[in-house]
Amino acid sequence: MAVHTPIAHTLYHYHDFFSSIFQYREYLKQSVARDLRKKYKRTSLGYFWSMLNPLLMMAVLTVVFSKLLPRVENYAVYLFCSLLGWQYFSSTVSSSLSSIRSNMKIIEQVPIPKFMFMISTAASNIVNLLITIVPLVVVMLIVGHPLHWTMILFPLALFPLIIYTLGFSILFGVLNVFFEDMVHLTQVLMRAWFYLTPILFGPEMLPPRTAYWMQFNPLYYPILNFRDVFYNGVVPDVTTYFYSLAGGFVLLALSLWVYKKSDDKFIYFV
Amino acid sequence: MTQAAVSEAPTEEAPLTQEPHGDVAAVEVNDICVTYRAYTERPGTFKELVLNYIRNRKAKYFTTFEALSHVSFQVPKGKIVGFIGSNGAGKSTLLKVLSGVLKPSTGEVTTRGKVDSLIKLGAGFDRELNAIENIYLYASLYQKSRDEIESRVPKILEFAELEEFAHTPIRYYSSGMFARLGFACAIDMNPDILLVDEVLAVGDERFNKKSRDKMLELLQSGKTIIMVSHNINMLQRTADQLGVLSKGRLIFFGDPTEAVKVYRADTYETSLDGKRL
Repeated sequence: MAVHTPIAHTLYHYHDFFSSIFQYREYLKQSVARDLRKKYKRTSLGYFWSMLNPLLMMAVLTVVFSKLLPRVENYAVYLFCSLLGWQYFSSTVSSSLSSIRSNMKIIEQVPIPKFMFMISTAASNIVNLLITIVPLVVVMLIVGHPLHWTMILFPLALFPLIIYTLGFSILFGVLNVFFEDMVHLTQVLMRAWFYLTPILFGPEMLPPRTAYWMQFNPLYYPILNFRDVFYNGVVPDVTTYFYSLAGGFVLLALSLWVYKKSDDKFIYFV
Repeated sequence: MTQAAVSEAPTEEAPLTQEPHGDVAAVEVNDICVTYRAYTERPGTFKELVLNYIRNRKAKYFTTFEALSHVSFQVPKGKIVGFIGSNGAGKSTLLKVLSGVLKPSTGEVTTRGKVDSLIKLGAGFDRELNAIENIYLYASLYQKSRDEIESRVPKILEFAELEEFAHTPIRYYSSGMFARLGFACAIDMNPDILLVDEVLAVGDERFNKKSRDKMLELLQSGKTIIMVSHNINMLQRTADQLGVLSKGRLIFFGDPTEAVKVYRADTYETSLDGKRL
């Protein structure tokens, strides 16, 4: 296939990407099932841990930051819904870093596209995210936060975040094959990123100038979408929603381009 | 010769109709080269890369190394072909190229039909899962559908003789049990072309024979087998054609007996070279 223009390149990569997902859909299913089995089968409390972890994190952060920040009604809920989105993003990207290396035995034998391992990680974590919706609702009921109808728009809010997560996971996963210290770099990056994203606070608490620049953080809108549907009970703004979604697809195209460029070299490096 | 059953007729006919045309090679390898980079000072970390960039050091990090150079051959459908060669001659690289996980630097590889490799048994197995779960996981890597896998599970377990331990996580398996499951899975993927790397000795003697019989059965049904081994005698007996690799070059391809002579002469020569140096 002759591809010359950047647009044609992008379309070609996307075609490759989505047809691989279709071809290997059974592998995705099996791999997600494997991850869930491993995670929940061998701990006696099973799924409970998955709910407890963000709940404890939320409790600690709430105790500290509800005192520090201007008063927010039901801060626990305010924090919890954006924290869920962030945890999905950060845990997927972190575990994608090692996914090419840890699947080397497969790569040496089956010509499977390597980004399938990142996709499978992202997919398993979606299941984890869905499970943590349960404690979120419980907290909402306990503190007496109204359950808005917009909660059912949750999949819509999640969609841009998934695209960004895949984009960064593939990009960092590829870089990690070539540079072994990506792990350390990512750790630092993630910590800084956490505080630059409206999770503990909201843009309304910031000076307008800071809030303006903050929206160029790729995760700004995807995370705020969560807050909109769960906490504020409003439909996310359509314009910014599509802008951020478009940005996500540009990022994904970029990471697929980087992936494609280095695809044939992986096997020499790992 | 007994009259073939109806179901066997096509497989008996197949070689007759195909051989005269001569264009049904299951595998065609056309002048491939694989150039590895042997890194000497690769910037393994991002930090080093940045430091090197700052110091403006345009050092060459690697020396190139031809793992395969200008290799061409054809494997006819339904034949068993072996490759021999001393360590580092490029045998494993060749199998990687044929399985599609390694792209040759130049040249072309054409394979007709599904390729499966018996290179590392149990690649893709997860030690925490039980045999059945692993069969599903493994088969899904070969793009099998759920229904297809479901119908194969009993057969695979029976062949691996692991029905009793089907629900035991495979980390409790002995190495023999693990290899048996790996072999049973790989052979059951029903490939048209099977790549084999030194794994014929699976399990005890009885299972070993069983796995050999299974491979012969595959051959008779018109499948192609490409094998790499250090066991010269075994290859000489079983292979239809043998290739000899030496330092990345295919120095002989054809009659097994002749190939072994070439191989012996070649290894003798190189070892003499070694002594002289």
